[in-house]
Amino acid sequence: MLDPITIGVVGLVVLFVLLMLRMPVGIAMILVGIGGTYALSLALPYVRFVPYIRQFKSLLWENVANYDLSVVPLFVLMGYIAAEARLSSDLFKGLEALLSRLRGGVAMAAIAACGGFGAVCGSSLATAATMGKVALPELKALGYKDRLSAGALAAGGTLGILIPPSVALVIYAIIVEGSILKMFQAAVIPGLLAVLSFIGVIAILVRVNPSLAPEPRPMPREERNIALKRLFPVILIFGAIILGLGFGLFTPTPAASIGVFLIGAYGFALRALTGEGLNMAGLRRALQATAITSGMIYLILFGAEVLKGFFTRSGLPQALSEWAANSGMDPMLVLVIMLIAFVVLGCFMESLAMILVVVPFFWPTLIALNGGEYVTAETAAYGMDTESLKIWFGILALIVVELGLITPPVGLNVFIISSLAKDTPMSTVFRGVMPFLGSEVIRVGLILMIPALTLTIPRLIGG
Amino acid sequence: MHAHVTRLADIFAMLGGVILFLIVMVTTTNTGAFILDRFMGLFGQDVPGLPGYEDFVQLAISGAALMFFPYTQASRGHVAVDLFVANAPMPVKRVLDHMWLTLTAAIALFLAYWMVHGMLESRSDAAEAGVLGWPIWPFYLPGIASMVLWAVVSVSQIFGDARYA
Repeated sequence: MLDPITIGVVGLVVLFVLLMLRMPVGIAMILVGIGGTYALSLALPYVRFVPYIRQFKSLLWENVANYDLSVVPLFVLMGYIAAEARLSSDLFKGLEALLSRLRGGVAMAAIAACGGFGAVCGSSLATAATMGKVALPELKALGYKDRLSAGALAAGGTLGILIPPSVALVIYAIIVEGSILKMFQAAVIPGLLAVLSFIGVIAILVRVNPSLAPEPRPMPREERNIALKRLFPVILIFGAIILGLGFGLFTPTPAASIGVFLIGAYGFALRALTGEGLNMAGLRRALQATAITSGMIYLILFGAEVLKGFFTRSGLPQALSEWAANSGMDPMLVLVIMLIAFVVLGCFMESLAMILVVVPFFWPTLIALNGGEYVTAETAAYGMDTESLKIWFGILALIVVELGLITPPVGLNVFIISSLAKDTPMSTVFRGVMPFLGSEVIRVGLILMIPALTLTIPRLIGG
Repeated sequence: MHAHVTRLADIFAMLGGVILFLIVMVTTTNTGAFILDRFMGLFGQDVPGLPGYEDFVQLAISGAALMFFPYTQASRGHVAVDLFVANAPMPVKRVLDHMWLTLTAAIALFLAYWMVHGMLESRSDAAEAGVLGWPIWPFYLPGIASMVLWAVVSVSQIFGDARYA
């Protein structure tokens, strides 16, 4: 008879095999969770399968009837309505008006717009797709080389996962039982750092190779005035959401609801006044896209709940954390290995699924290495208490997860941009993304070495 | 049949969307009242929020979230790892796709079956939402219907979705 740890390991292997055979992630998680628990019930007298199966009477309903999780479809809806209401293009044109005097300025505006759009959209893929549609044709028409424009937009899209509000941050906070608000606050400086470093990369690239971008052509005065006028309400709405969240004026679900309300109302008003903006067809498209994304997320979340039950009963996460704590390995080295594992898995796994499968294994290990749940900052191996470790590790994990979106062989953002820029092959986009990938590695190094970059804002605001 | 089932999944998704908008309106009203209360508090006036607001969001989102599942399936939106099977011969892809669609339908029906038991238990226990006092069992119904529709969409894709035909 197999011991429970071995059953846990076999379950993990079976999960990855099923995923490689293209089984939907949520279905694979449910199947392995139920099958694994059945195997455990054969090996362990205290694991009883029939009472376990009866839990499904309420497990799914209780999983979705969750106030904290209601923020997920609301943030998703907010992003899609903003795109349909043309706020994304107003944001890009307004930033272009400000930056078009610089060589490479329009590509820089695209990066800044990705960052801004990330503030109303919790998904990297949606950010890349929306801003790609808006900015790629303009960059091409102005004479930007495909390598620069496609690379910048694929990299810029990754900002959606980190810049709050982010669906991935919400889910990470729920897994580790942390504060969603503090995670949002912690992501602000790393997010801004990413925007600035990507803009810096463009500045360096066009200086080294001026043929990548055309001569700067400032926007005509009249067009500039219109663009800036339309940028103002966008900044006002996005700013209200970000500042309201950041300063704790409202919690995530009210912030997302107010965001949907304001963006929807602005979109319809714009339509009535100018003929552009949100109409019923756009609203329907936004709802359909929200249904697809939210359905996908909720199924993975439920699958992760079923899978977690199996792994916890098998004792695998606890065994892993005990092994790590007794191995004598340097805690920082273990953390770096974990981050590399995220990058490798991110090359072929969907980011949310990866967070849900991997974090429950890594998090107990980190707590054990740090010196236990109730350790103080003075005696902790990472120099911080558990709450701070939660925040620091979460931000690091999310940044490396987003690297998976722009690294070969899959790189979902690269795939999206390549399909939007029809005559730009994947290889060109991958080449274009490389300098941005380099800046990301530097950013991860900085945040690893200087935890204050993530911890300062939550400490200042939260006390 | 496939087209009709997809249309029904679309209707479910739209109904889920309507529920989301209800949540938006109720939450915005409640937050507005909260902000107004802080402001009016300076003048010694109270502005009450909506009692049982969190109960409402919990009950409403349970319907909306599950009503999205069939449309996600109809749009092939339940995420899977493409990398390893992408270059496999078409018959292999088709067999795998049909296997997973059958399994998805089976899991959806399994969940529907147990949710029916959950609803009956909730009804016999007279379970209620904490503050609102609304009975919980009717809020299982959209989820049960959605699970059944999810299964039907999956089966219809075996016959009607020409993805790997």
